[in-house]
This record gives sequence, C-alpha cells and structure tokens, in this order.
Amino acid sequence: MAPNFWNKVFLIFKKDLKDEIRTLSHLLGTLVFGLMLVFTFSYALQLADLETSRVFSAALWVSIYFSASLALQRAFAKEVESGTLEALLMGSGDRGVLFVAKFLYSLSLLLIVELVVVPLMWVFMGVTGHNLHLGLLVASLFLGSWGLAAIGTMLNGMTTQLPGSRLLFPLLMFPLLIPLLMGAVLTSQGAVLGETQSVMGWVYLLLAFDLIFTVVPLLLFDYVLEG
Amino acid sequence: MKLGRWQLLFWTLVVLVPSNLYVIFYYAPVERTMGIVQKVFYFHVAAAWIGLLAFCVVCGASIAYLWTRSDRVNHLALASAEIGTVFISGTLLTGPLWAYPIWNTWWTWDPRLTTTLVLWFMYVAYMVLQSGGETEARKRLSAIYGIIAFVNVPLVFFSARWWRSIHPVVVTSEGIGLDGKMKAAMFVSLAVFSVLYTYLVPLRMKSLALRSKVRQLKADLLN
Repeated sequence: MAPNFWNKVFLIFKKDLKDEIRTLSHLLGTLVFGLMLVFTFSYALQLADLETSRVFSAALWVSIYFSASLALQRAFAKEVESGTLEALLMGSGDRGVLFVAKFLYSLSLLLIVELVVVPLMWVFMGVTGHNLHLGLLVASLFLGSWGLAAIGTMLNGMTTQLPGSRLLFPLLMFPLLIPLLMGAVLTSQGAVLGETQSVMGWVYLLLAFDLIFTVVPLLLFDYVLEG
Repeated sequence: MKLGRWQLLFWTLVVLVPSNLYVIFYYAPVERTMGIVQKVFYFHVAAAWIGLLAFCVVCGASIAYLWTRSDRVNHLALASAEIGTVFISGTLLTGPLWAYPIWNTWWTWDPRLTTTLVLWFMYVAYMVLQSGGETEARKRLSAIYGIIAFVNVPLVFFSARWWRSIHPVVVTSEGIGLDGKMKAAMFVSLAVFSVLYTYLVPLRMKSLALRSKVRQLKADLLN
C-alpha cells in the first residue's frame, strides 16, 4: 500500500470526525440509547437478584451490540443522505481507502460510546471486581469493537443502497457476530473474575475473527460500492 | 409420451420416497433403548445434510454471480437458500423431538446445534435481503452476503466446539454407534433427500425466472 493510501484514509477519517464533533447529533443519540440500555439491564438484573460479577460481561456485550446497531449505521448512510458518496468515491479512487477510513471512524464512535457505557454499567451493576484484570478487559473491548466495526462498516456500505436499510442492517449483522460474541463475553468475564490464563484462547479467537473480517470485506468492497 | 427431465425426476421420486420410508420404518431395526423415536434420526440427518449442501451452493452461486452477473445464477442461489431453509427448519424441528426423551432437554448449546441455528438465521437474513424487487444492487449485495455468511459458518462451529471442550459437557451428541442396517437406512435417506433437492432447485429456479419475467412485463406495461 502506497503512502498515498494512508494519506487519503487519514483525510477522510479526519473529515468524518470533524463532522461528528461539530454536529454531535448522532453520537449523542447513540450515547443516550446506550445509557438507557445500561439502566434497563442493570435494573432488570437487580430485580432478578443475580450474582452481578458473573452476569456483567454478558449484559455488557448485549448492550454494546445493541448500541452498535445504532452507532454503526452512520458511516455510509450520512454520505448517502447528503448525496456526497459519489464525490467521495471519485475523490478516493480506491474503494479500499473508503472502507478503511469508514472502519476507523466507526471504530472510534464505538470506543467513545464504550468509554461512557462500560464504567456506568460497572457502577450500576455494583460489580466488586477485586480480581479485575484491567488490561485484559480493555483488550477484550478493543478487539470486540474492532470486529463489530469491520462487519458494521461493510454491512452499512451494503444496506444504504437498499430501501428499508434500518431494519436490514441488524438482521444481517447479528448472525455474523455470534463467534465474536462468544469470544468477547468470555474474555471480558475472565478479566472481571481475574481468570486470565484460561481465557487466552478466546483472545486468539477474537484476533482471528478480526483479521478474517477485516480482510474479507476489504477484498469484496469493490463489489459493494460498484458503479 | 415423451418423458422430459422433470417428469423423469418426479417419477423417480414417486418411487424413491415411499421406498425410503419403507427402509426407515421396516428395514432398519428399532433401536433397543431409544425405541421408535430414533426413527426421526434418518430425517434429521438427511435434512441437515441438504441444509449444509444448499448453503455451499448459495456460496458457490454467489461467487459465480459476481463473476457472470447472470440472472440464472442469482436464481440458483436464491432457490437453494429457500429450499435449504426449509430443510434446516426440518432439522431444527426434528432435533428436539428426539432430544427431549433422550437428553431430557429440548435444546442444548452443542456446537452442531448452535451452528445449525446460526445457519438458519443467516439463511433467513439472506432471503430478507433478496426479497422485494430484483434490482441490480440487491442481487449484487445478496451475493456478497452469501459469501460472508459462508465464511462465518466454520468460525461459529469451531468457536462453539472450543467453548464446549473447555467447559464440562453435560450431554453430547456423540456415541451413536450405528447398526449395519441403520447405517444403510441413513445413506438411503441421504441419497433420496439429495435427489429431492436436485428436483426442487431447478423447479424453484423456473418459477423465479417466471416471476422476474412477469415483473418485467408489468414494468414494461406501466412505462
């Protein structure tokens, strides 16, 4: 990949971030939705009187998945709404540039949402976390978000071309994300309970998943945004 | 009367399906401990086989579609997905019928069960993607989804198996030592179901082709 490739990626990524920071509407909406999920989950689990440190990572990842189904529907949809996709396609030349830039943008959005959602979930659920391994928790969040963002970016590029995209997007996304869910939930749980050794295998699964679903969309992206 | 390919396959099936039933219910012995409920196995496994085969066809046809852009190939992928869904649903419905008396539970997160369920979800998502008008974008994007979904299948299977091998396994689907006659009945079922699939797919492709023709004529009429 030529240095030119990364220049273009960086330019588009910077444009998207600037746009997001100036309007904030989408990010704020997603954050509020994430907070509502956290509240609903913690309250329901509190009512059910479950052992929180064991349920935490499952509830957390379901919340992240649902938040992601909002957060990730932005990357290409906003270009289509404002009619700028064509210009972007011509400007970038290479479809791969666009995929990588939009992937980085989606990943940043997700990480910002998680920065708020995860600590709040922790507090609301009253997890004690004496054995917490913070590094592993951060790693699981990052690797999980990577896979989510990669698949989400690809699918958003696809569904925005079709009517009824808002319904199609989660329908197409969730079945593809099952292996990621397993890896992410088990790794986060290992981090919370301090059982780091036994979950290292799942970190490798997350890595493999991220690698496959970054490379495959990159290969197929010429077909996604055709014409 | 000249017999076409269709009639030939159809009449072959008219003979084959009852023979398959005969082999399942009379030729194969009744399992000693499980009893008559084990008969569901022959339908269950054969339907699962067709579900997986149909998914491979969807992936193959999807790759071929991106290459050729032929409507026929797209119809092949869609027909295969539709028929595969029917068979996978059959697998998912017959499984619990057997599992409840034998495992004492309707469902367990065994790798095979998990993978089959995810496969079913991806089939349904694929059909939703294909539904509602045959635009160029829809056909192209469905083909892409058909490929990604196929890549996902081994990932689901191996991660589910891995999870189960780390955790204690309460019930397994292992240990079905098959009697010779039972094995024969299973292979007959697999063969007959495969013939049924090869009969149904072109039939459905034909009706899909007719559907697009009707849509085209309607569009022409309105313009």
